[in-house]
Amino acid sequence: MSPAWVVALPALGAVVVLAMGSRATVGWVGAGFGLLAWLSGLVVAVPALGDTGSQRYLLGSFPTGAMSIEVALAVDGLAAVMVLLATTVALLVLLYSVGYLSGERRRASYTALVLVFTSAMSLVVLADDFFVLLVGWEVMGACSYFLIGHYWERVEARAGAVKAFLLTRLGDIGLLFGIFVLGAAVGSFSISGANEAAAAGQLSTSQATAAMLLVLCGVVGKSAQFPLHTWLPDAMPGPTPISALIHAATMVAAGVYLVARLDDVMAASPAARTVLAVIAAVTMLLAALFAVAQDDLKRVLAWSTVSQLAYMFAALAVGAYAAGVFHLLSHGAFKALLFLGAGAIVHAVGGTSMGPMGGLRRRLPLTFVTMTIGFAALVGLVPAVGFFSKDAVLGGVMDAALHDGSWQAWMLLTSGLLTVVVTAAYSTRAWLLVFFGRSRGAEVLETEPWTMRAPVVVLAGLSLVGGALVLTPEVVDPLGRSEGSLVHPTLAAASTLLVLLTVLVTYSEWWRVEGVDPAARFGPVRRRLFAELGVDRLYQITVTGPTWSLAHLVVATDRDIVEPYVRGASASAQGLGLALRQLQRGNVQVYVTAVVVGALALGLTAGWLS
Amino acid sequence: MSLLYPLVVAALLFAIGVYGVLARRNAVLVLMGVELMLNAVNLNLVAFDAYLRDVVHSGQVLTLFVIAIAAAEIGLGLAIVLMVFRSHRHIDVDRMRELSDTDAADAAMARDARVGAAPGGGER
Repeated sequence: MSPAWVVALPALGAVVVLAMGSRATVGWVGAGFGLLAWLSGLVVAVPALGDTGSQRYLLGSFPTGAMSIEVALAVDGLAAVMVLLATTVALLVLLYSVGYLSGERRRASYTALVLVFTSAMSLVVLADDFFVLLVGWEVMGACSYFLIGHYWERVEARAGAVKAFLLTRLGDIGLLFGIFVLGAAVGSFSISGANEAAAAGQLSTSQATAAMLLVLCGVVGKSAQFPLHTWLPDAMPGPTPISALIHAATMVAAGVYLVARLDDVMAASPAARTVLAVIAAVTMLLAALFAVAQDDLKRVLAWSTVSQLAYMFAALAVGAYAAGVFHLLSHGAFKALLFLGAGAIVHAVGGTSMGPMGGLRRRLPLTFVTMTIGFAALVGLVPAVGFFSKDAVLGGVMDAALHDGSWQAWMLLTSGLLTVVVTAAYSTRAWLLVFFGRSRGAEVLETEPWTMRAPVVVLAGLSLVGGALVLTPEVVDPLGRSEGSLVHPTLAAASTLLVLLTVLVTYSEWWRVEGVDPAARFGPVRRRLFAELGVDRLYQITVTGPTWSLAHLVVATDRDIVEPYVRGASASAQGLGLALRQLQRGNVQVYVTAVVVGALALGLTAGWLS
Repeated sequence: MSLLYPLVVAALLFAIGVYGVLARRNAVLVLMGVELMLNAVNLNLVAFDAYLRDVVHSGQVLTLFVIAIAAAEIGLGLAIVLMVFRSHRHIDVDRMRELSDTDAADAAMARDARVGAAPGGGER
């Protein structure tokens, strides 16, 4: 089956859903198309799992002068696992949304956008031409914008949507120019062609560095890495299933996917890898620290997403390809689980602030159990999938550090281990604040329907058994790009010890004065972290403010310099008209006199001249 | 006979006609001024025809044409004067200024356009 079906089916579903309007069954139809997309994804991806080769499907070609743009799709091992991840999470989220959005208006546009997003994500992971990839990439960005702004009556939803759109677009400019550089260097816009050229050493280091640094701009924007990290937490006013699908499991992971996809080009440029390593090291720790101080459950999860994405980049920056892809899959499962669990809590208590929550363990037992599994995966506790994937990432980084002793790897290892501690701290804090102690005001208004339970249970199951993937590393790394095992027992033991210690400390801090936020111990530091170190304020001062000033300047120029000329032209024409009007006063004899005098004058002049 | 006499007479006639057209207020007298000017031209045509001894007498033929056209013109002109008198109760050229470009005229035109555009604006 052609992989085009994976792209086409959800897009078709979007059209059908939009045509249905706001009927009650619209969510079910959407879920049905999600199922179709998932099945086609299975048919396309399962045979390609662990496949060392790549199958290319050429659907069309547009000659554009020197280089043609080919509508080409390719299925290989990486695309296969990504298609599986995207369609699975999309299916579960569509099913979940049936319950989550029941009784809401705008279900049709919501469902249609989720389907369009699924189609675009499949296009991104299956594309074998940079421009095809870019189309999917931008459509995803547009869907993200619309879905963040789903509740556009709320001002923070509108602001978050615009912010997400602008910051990701800012990065996408870099991506576009990166594509140009790669295309000019390789001679075609084919992705596999770029990788082959890089692997064969046809790309010079400077070409690869220029291209990858530009591509990294787009990646950093899409995956919300430092310094473009501020949009993801502000995207949280969107519906929670959207946060699970787009802002945790798939779209933000597309940046990681692109870096993994261009691994050969990346390997040709040590400078780009260094930049990626620095970005990852800064982002993972910073985002985790921000997560400690947040009051909003979804914001905690958003910062944790940013931090976990940085882990994947860390793995890719040191060449631990398998670990990066593994953590991408694992994070897709457990972060979707956490967000859908958060959605169940939002559904039950009607808000995302952790302030009034507490004691939800007894009221929402299923959510408690599943989210506990999710948090265990997030902090990396055995046997959850996060334990294995995080161990693989840290192990890969440690191997690189011990093997060639590069400072980048040591920096990443330090930052990674610190982040393990901070991750354990914020996860435990959120877990305790939400589920334990006494309720601080939040009432459970309604429990979730089965459509919301089933996806959470499935994801919890996947998060529990996903660790088995370490037994078959060829699924995440069919070509054997990274050496070394995915399992590092010593490091695993050390990090588990760190996690347990942190959990214990956090718990005792929470238990000492029951019901008090453990983050309160940080005192003034917490306020700084809560304000996210003022990065937003910095952007406000350095970018937004000057832009506004510039806009005001343009307006003033138009009003005070350009407009007077226009007004002057009209005023002078009017004045001239007033003067000329005096000639036409309606007395016919005056006109005739003018004619006679004129004729006489002409005659006399003619006579005098001759 | 010298050409001078008819030319002087024609010039005088034309000047009287011009004066009538420019200075008189009565529309009928203005029309008479126009007639005087036409006949001055006729006199010129006949005089030159005789002076140049034109074999086909094109000057005289043209004069006949002018007389015919003048008759038609005065018929039309008097009809207009009659209509003006019926509507204005006077035929004073000085006081007929409806076609002047004034603010009042602009406003009247705008009002007419508005009324015409409005639904049911036909009944005025």
